[in-house]
Amino acid sequence: MTFPYKGYAGQYLDIDLSKGKVLKRKMEEEWARLYLGGTGVAAKILWDRTGPKTNPFSPQNIVVVGTGPLTGVMFSPSGRFMFASKSPLTGVWAESHAGGFFGPEMKYAGVDFIIFNGRSPKPVYLFLRDGKAELLDASALWGRETAETTDMIREQHKNPEIETAVIGPAGENQVLYSCIIVDYYRAAGRTGIGAVLGSKNVKGIAASGSLGLEAYDMEKYLAANEGEMEKLNDPLWKESLSSLRRYGTTDLVAIINEIGRLPTKNHWTGFYEDADDIGPEAIATKFRIAQEACHGCAIGCKYIYKIMDGPFVGGPAGGPEYETLMAFGSNCMNNDLASIIHLGTKCDLLGLDTISCGKSISFAMDLWEQGILTEKDTGGLDLSWGNVDSMVQLVEMIAKREGLGRLLSKGVRKAAEKIGGDAWKYAVHVKGLEASGQDPRAHQSVGLTYATNVRGADHLRSLSSLEELGYPEIVTQRFGEEKTEAILDIMSPRHKGELVWDMEDLYAIVDSAVICKYGTMWPPVFYFDTFSNVITPLTGMKEWSDPKYVRRTAERISHLRRAFNHRLGITRKEETLPKRLLQDPMPTGPSKGGLPDLAEMLDEYYDFRGCDRETGYPRKEKLLELGLDYVAKDLEQRKMLR
Amino acid sequence: MFKDLTKILAIDVEKCTGCRNCELACSIHHTGTFNPRRARIQVIKEERKDLVVPIVCLQCESPLCEKACPNGAIQRNEFGTLYVNNEVCIGCQNCVAACIYGGIEIDPYTRKAIKCDLCGGDPACIKACDYGAITFVESSPKGRLQRAKGVEVLSQIFEASFAEAEE
Ligand code: SF4
Ligand code: SF4
Ligand code: SF4
Repeated sequence: MTFPYKGYAGQYLDIDLSKGKVLKRKMEEEWARLYLGGTGVAAKILWDRTGPKTNPFSPQNIVVVGTGPLTGVMFSPSGRFMFASKSPLTGVWAESHAGGFFGPEMKYAGVDFIIFNGRSPKPVYLFLRDGKAELLDASALWGRETAETTDMIREQHKNPEIETAVIGPAGENQVLYSCIIVDYYRAAGRTGIGAVLGSKNVKGIAASGSLGLEAYDMEKYLAANEGEMEKLNDPLWKESLSSLRRYGTTDLVAIINEIGRLPTKNHWTGFYEDADDIGPEAIATKFRIAQEACHGCAIGCKYIYKIMDGPFVGGPAGGPEYETLMAFGSNCMNNDLASIIHLGTKCDLLGLDTISCGKSISFAMDLWEQGILTEKDTGGLDLSWGNVDSMVQLVEMIAKREGLGRLLSKGVRKAAEKIGGDAWKYAVHVKGLEASGQDPRAHQSVGLTYATNVRGADHLRSLSSLEELGYPEIVTQRFGEEKTEAILDIMSPRHKGELVWDMEDLYAIVDSAVICKYGTMWPPVFYFDTFSNVITPLTGMKEWSDPKYVRRTAERISHLRRAFNHRLGITRKEETLPKRLLQDPMPTGPSKGGLPDLAEMLDEYYDFRGCDRETGYPRKEKLLELGLDYVAKDLEQRKMLR
Repeated sequence: MFKDLTKILAIDVEKCTGCRNCELACSIHHTGTFNPRRARIQVIKEERKDLVVPIVCLQCESPLCEKACPNGAIQRNEFGTLYVNNEVCIGCQNCVAACIYGGIEIDPYTRKAIKCDLCGGDPACIKACDYGAITFVESSPKGRLQRAKGVEVLSQIFEASFAEAEE
């Protein structure tokens, strides 16, 4: 029997790399009904197939590649897909999403999910074409940069329509924060899944498909879809959307610096005096040559740059996002915009996460200033703030794991452990993941988001932009009149536990659907009802038309991912913030003096989440209510249930 | 005999973001499925050169595809638009070879030729393009000029790749 739910390709691949075998299986109905797709299904698979003892680089670790029912079916923005694994960088839950065109193409080629098990004896890549799936020899691709790899694969198959997701030399060399590059310059950046693929001798995946997808009730689905698009076109969002279209995420450099939240000088402060030099206008006038969009996206935040002269001549290629501008710019005190663009592209080509890479470099620069690292340790490199030459060299050294690059290729937590002494004070991370471009000292709820995010210090699992952008109508709608004022106060910890709990669940569905955060996170257009409106006519799964069912599923996914981490040793103790963001008051800028009230927010979050305040472990009744009996049973044996 | 062809599709490549929503919309309209490869409009990309060009039938005044078809499958519909009569098309690809603009293609599913029929006068792709890159213009000299601009970029790409091939 074929898979009963539409919107899905209906098939997943279970690949045994060690034996070189590709097994095609029918999608599991239970996965779709209880976990939808993307992160939800990946959590279920990872829970089932890995355990506390799984070494991230061993053949026993797995990599899940996941799409969702909304991938490639015209819902805007739905050109996305994701990877999940156990992270070599953090040792806990790893997840990373990317846009572009690969996700839809993978579904058009007939596959919803791919599970890589084992380790291939020689370099391979997975080739998908209209229901066919084979592991092909990648020895000629090994060692190549990501763009060249894609060129070569397209050339090999004489098919320019092939879309790819590949690793670069960094992933092959198992730099712990290696990413996967999708369609030349989109990245599944965080948590080092590129290195896991590298350890499995998998260079990447290539797909080209013409199988197409169906809707359960096309007319109703298109009508529901139209309704959601109307929301997107509400004048309320006009400003946010036109900024995204005009500048992409680069606009955030200006917006965020204004509220004193732009990580500067290795997160020492949140205000960068030279922000204009690396901001949206500078990019738009000097380097931006075209707008781009992911598959079927009406927002279109991507752009193409070209650098015509100077030492960093380059492009056309995808331009750096906000996070890259922050990581190689303000956070390294570097206002040379062309160099930042160059470093961003270099990371794309080598297959490095720009955030973790930039943050590892700023960490080293900080240690240099403190005198903890000296010329003896750096092999003669001068790591003064903003030293562009050293930064360029370091990126290459990290990808090759040479000299100081070897130490920094492990990320800031492990590097600090190796260096010893006071180095840990300058390692800005949670659970081993380098912090992204926010600062809780200027935005309370960010602190809770960083602390509780299952993958570490990063905004993408639960960031609330509601208080940052100030949408009182939306806050009232979602949380009620009486809480509105406190929630909108960016420096008040009140109700932020509830806020982050709510966002985490919303994004759990967003990341399972799988759609982009633009349209949910910023601007906050889509909410739980969006999914109850579109999933049923698309898939035919009746229960999804009940908004309560959608919320319950979201909670299930959130709890399953948390349980995955508990099993690996995560408790309230680890759900915290680095010293710099928790104890050192913001020294300068508009948010001067700010500090997050983490403990208070955490208590409230655990209450809403159905967890024990002391340990962060889940309550038994909560898991049973969500149908996670198998999780409750496992955690109970480990004494991780309350 | 036929109603006059009054409108044609013009594409502004400067506005196009390469999102492929036009392909999706076209495939939904004509096949009832999400399948960009079965769309009558195809977005050609060369990422390394920042080239993104949607290619679609130009509704030529003297259509090469029509002339090339040995079976007379390319016919005018009630609106005067050339379309491929599926019953008659044998999938020989003569039309595909004949059209120098890439405006007609083989449907990977039916193996028969497909080309834009202007959706009977209400183009789905235009509605789907959120960037205003596709417009419906009068088939007047001015409209044709607008269309020619889009084609110009196309010929640039082809020239570039010819030049490369010769090298
Ligand atoms: S908003 Fe930007 S990242 Fe998201 S799908 Fe659209 S173009 Fe891609
Ligand atoms: S929908 Fe518009 S912007 Fe998108 S590819 Fe088609 S013509 Fe270009
Ligand atoms: S007008 Fe209709 S048939 Fe022609 S390309 Fe657009 S959607 Fe396709």
